[in-house]
Amino acid sequence: MNNNGMNEPLGIVNHILKKSFVDGPGNRAVIFLQGCNFHCLYCHNPYTINHCTACGLCVETCPQHALTLGKDKIFWNEDICVECDECIRVCPESASPRTRTYTPAELWQEVARIGPFITGISVSGGEPSLQVPFLARFFQLVKENSDLTTLIETNGFAGQQAYTDMLPWLDMAMVDLKCSDPDKHLELTGQPLDTVLESIRFFAAQGKLQQVQQVIAPAYTDQAADMQRTAGLLAGIDPSIHLRLLRFRPHGASGPAAQWQSPTDERMDALVETARSNGLTSVERSL
Amino acid sequence: MDKQNLPEPFMDFENLQEGLTAETVAPFKQHISDLLHARDLIFEQKRDALAAAAVGSMPYPPISAEARELIESGALCLLAEGATPYHPRYVAPDYAKILREGSPFLELQPAQNLFDATTSLLTAYKYFPAGGLPVFIGRLDELLEPYIDSVSPETARQVLKSFWLLVDRLNPSGFVHADLGPAASKTGTLLLDVDRELGTITNVTLRYDPQHTPQEFALKAVSNALAVTKPYFLNHPAMAADWGKDYVIASCYNALPLKGGIYTLVRLNLKKAAEMAGNDPERFLDEILPQISKRWTEVIASRARYIIEDVRWFEDNFWIEEGLLDKSKFSAYAGVFGLAEGVNHFFQNKAGYGHDPAANRLAERITTRIHEVLEDNPVIYCEGTGGKACYHAQVGITSDLETTPATRIPSGEEPELYEHILTEAPTHKWINGGISTILEFDQTAAQNPAAVLDIIQGAFKAGIRNLSIGSANSEFVRVTGYLIRRADLEAHKAEKALRHSSAALGSGVMENHPNHLHRITRKV
Repeated sequence: MNNNGMNEPLGIVNHILKKSFVDGPGNRAVIFLQGCNFHCLYCHNPYTINHCTACGLCVETCPQHALTLGKDKIFWNEDICVECDECIRVCPESASPRTRTYTPAELWQEVARIGPFITGISVSGGEPSLQVPFLARFFQLVKENSDLTTLIETNGFAGQQAYTDMLPWLDMAMVDLKCSDPDKHLELTGQPLDTVLESIRFFAAQGKLQQVQQVIAPAYTDQAADMQRTAGLLAGIDPSIHLRLLRFRPHGASGPAAQWQSPTDERMDALVETARSNGLTSVERSL
Repeated sequence: MDKQNLPEPFMDFENLQEGLTAETVAPFKQHISDLLHARDLIFEQKRDALAAAAVGSMPYPPISAEARELIESGALCLLAEGATPYHPRYVAPDYAKILREGSPFLELQPAQNLFDATTSLLTAYKYFPAGGLPVFIGRLDELLEPYIDSVSPETARQVLKSFWLLVDRLNPSGFVHADLGPAASKTGTLLLDVDRELGTITNVTLRYDPQHTPQEFALKAVSNALAVTKPYFLNHPAMAADWGKDYVIASCYNALPLKGGIYTLVRLNLKKAAEMAGNDPERFLDEILPQISKRWTEVIASRARYIIEDVRWFEDNFWIEEGLLDKSKFSAYAGVFGLAEGVNHFFQNKAGYGHDPAANRLAERITTRIHEVLEDNPVIYCEGTGGKACYHAQVGITSDLETTPATRIPSGEEPELYEHILTEAPTHKWINGGISTILEFDQTAAQNPAAVLDIIQGAFKAGIRNLSIGSANSEFVRVTGYLIRRADLEAHKAEKALRHSSAALGSGVMENHPNHLHRITRKV
């Protein structure tokens, strides 16, 4: 796999989506990395949080026999897998064994084929800031070999110094601001808020903050007071920061969040209005 | 020859050799009576159908027995043009000349302002000398831009809105086609606005050149396409490389020279043709296609001859006398359809076209081979395309039961988007007389038209000549190449009379033959 003889950093990739209209400007390829340092209550893809420990439990359970146990790794036969997710259900880590390990060059080769159809590449998660050496090299290859733009969708928790190595090759960052109340942020994500704000300030100062996203979820972000605080914080950094509000949807959410209600159109529209009246000039919401 | 042996769209009484005979008078009278009494046709539609019946009562101009057999078997299809064509199928008049110089025959003065210009165009459409409908209504932005500042911006908008409404109300058909681009203009922008606002049926093509069409104009066109399935996106650099800049798009997506025309469209059913080769694709390429092409071009020539030598269409014709059409720019279409079934005939019980690389390669070889055999068989009176028939991919008609339009992958069987594009793109290479690939997007596209434009540009780089863009939310349904309104389709099923003749054509396609229709409910 790593046949260039150099000690290339490896990336662990959960999934590559070749066409996305909702992950940044234009049509984009989206690379979903495995591994995240947040444990959001409503996580919609919890199988990307932890890493496979090669315990082998799933190998016996797989009805398609698409998994085999190697020395310290599970091998996945994509061709016969039917994506029934039985492996994830039995996993003690709730981690997907269906990941691929790439060198930066291998990943670029995979994406380059669809280069004519896309504006750029977005890296999402999992959490991109956990695989910075790999991404820095991958983005460098993208920039050296194409006109494609590069974007990360990050939770911002790693703080500014974590992004430094990839910065020369990174065009844009979307940062999730899960919740603007420090206590509720900790409760919702399992991690403190302060470095997230630091990252938002950092990307804004670099001119690379594509947008801030917030999932509008009951009890955390759906009240006018929540949005007043969020908008106030962001407007204090830069009133022109683009804020996109994403409607929480219970479908695919894990744990108790599967029982939560989706905010109504009226609620979403009211929050957009609140954000605007609290100093942000560019606010929109998802469908 | 028994009448029942003739494939659709022949009428019951048609007889290629003899015309109306003593035996076919009864079904002829019945057909006329049915038309007279039809409850779901308005006067104009009855009149047109009666005229078509009259032409259908004539014998076919002399052709070889082999050619007649191919027609009678349905391998070659005349597309209901009738045995004796008395006019070209498509023409592309030089409307700019009428606006600039006026027309003695139409008693029109040179246009002085936007009112004059739109009035002159509507007048000219009324006298369109082919096919009963003005299937080409001009490169409208070029035509009207010189007059757009003759009135205030608000008046310009009102005039264009009235004009666009009249184009539809006087010529209600999805085969009526306007061209825009590649440059942006005030007129082009206004026309996109009023087209979206009015939601009329008139077809539109944007001649898109990524180097010269401004991004903002292109994005506006994408948004329109997602809402009302038009304009088409035409790969202008690729088309201009073949045609020069003076070409137009008419009817569904048909390319022809400006001031030129197309005498006839004779189409080859590639499914039936492939079946003539047994199970040997090499025999199909090496023997069958060269044999067929001789008869195919013979039929095309017989029809062009009839129009020119027998009916003497170019004589006593004001369009010619006033220099609005030019005989040296005329040609005829050799159309193909059912490539998918033609290829899959050789891949029985296998994945087939769109899914098997070997099948995709055969599709490319077939379309290339047809180009070669058409080059090998010059056709008289086709000066407009170098003395050879013009290669066209035909979109299908209601009576096609077992074939997919043109070179498309059957609807509902398309692979993932990029594979879909990359599979069909090689089949566009030689077919410069009109071809299109249909792409349909889900509702996220409307919020990100730039993403759709990325895919259009990628498709052009891959060699796609023409893209039809739609979304599941559109109020129009694109049937093969033309448009029908969703509401009209429902009304037609309820047997209500409609202004739009294309709705009647589309209805049968919708109900019976999903191969023709890009199913609107499916998401890409």
